[in-house]
Amino acid sequence: MSLTERLRFFHEAIAWKGEIPLQSRYTVGVAGERFLRELRDNARLIATHCPQCDYTYMPPRLYCERCFAELTEWVQVPPRGNIHAFTVMHLDLDEEPLAEPEIIAFVQLEGSDGGLIHRLKEVDPDEVYIGMPVGAVFREEREGSILDIAYFRAI
Amino acid sequence: MTEHITEYPGTPLKERDFTEGKVLYNWWVPKADYAWDAGVAIGKFLAGLKEGKILGITCPQCGRILVPPRMVCSDCFVPTDHWVEVRHTGTVRMFSITYVTWDMQRLEKPLIPAVIELDGITPGMGFMHLLDEVDRDDVHIGLRVEAVWRPAEERTAAITDILYFRPLKEETS
Repeated sequence: MSLTERLRFFHEAIAWKGEIPLQSRYTVGVAGERFLRELRDNARLIATHCPQCDYTYMPPRLYCERCFAELTEWVQVPPRGNIHAFTVMHLDLDEEPLAEPEIIAFVQLEGSDGGLIHRLKEVDPDEVYIGMPVGAVFREEREGSILDIAYFRAI
Repeated sequence: MTEHITEYPGTPLKERDFTEGKVLYNWWVPKADYAWDAGVAIGKFLAGLKEGKILGITCPQCGRILVPPRMVCSDCFVPTDHWVEVRHTGTVRMFSITYVTWDMQRLEKPLIPAVIELDGITPGMGFMHLLDEVDRDDVHIGLRVEAVWRPAEERTAAITDILYFRPLKEETS
């Protein structure tokens, strides 16, 4: 028993086209707000430290993910670290080819147990390696966004 | 339980916290385009509407005429196979009177959505459409109606190629 009819050509398919109106306003939370304001106003990276677990959260968290204690100790971490992982992108979000490939890396920041995912520039994709030391390049005009760091580059 | 909570823990934000720049935020308008595939049966049904035809399909086992058409009979689970054109007149089997649109705008003149069982098809089948050219007080279950079509050149193979159903002026059977 099989269906007696099927579509043989794409143009035979009728689809109902529409668009869902969506808008989203995302706030970064109490800790994220403090992190971004410090980044904007002073071009500094701050993290939270759990004295009990001796663990430094970057990006900062309000509560320790290990012992659930509230974290009140804020520490400054230097804007440099090592590449922990990276990928080279050749397509944008709409899957259109990029004029130049972009490198996205997870940078483990010195003095913290975490790091930031960000762009890596001023380096040839072939020369990037795990463990490569990199530093943040801050924008002159900052507005309180993770993009106040323009990118990371090799140091 | 929640009615006893007067103060919620957390960091509540008010609209003016955003407008006055008290809080940092990301503004994002995702592009959520979609295309809903009508499928073989409904696709052919919609294509028929563009030509001014209402198409149904017959089940070879129970003989029911399905409108809107389905590729498989919902009673017998066998593939349906024979397309038929059905009449443009029918009977109101269910209706509602609404003074708000789907996105909750108030309406002066009510919309009257109804399930219409077309003549000649299997009783119990039917599709939803709007009634018009009728006073809301005159609408009743069993009201005889006919389709009012969009002009042929304006049709787009959509259910709205039928503009609405209106009361049948005189029976011509």
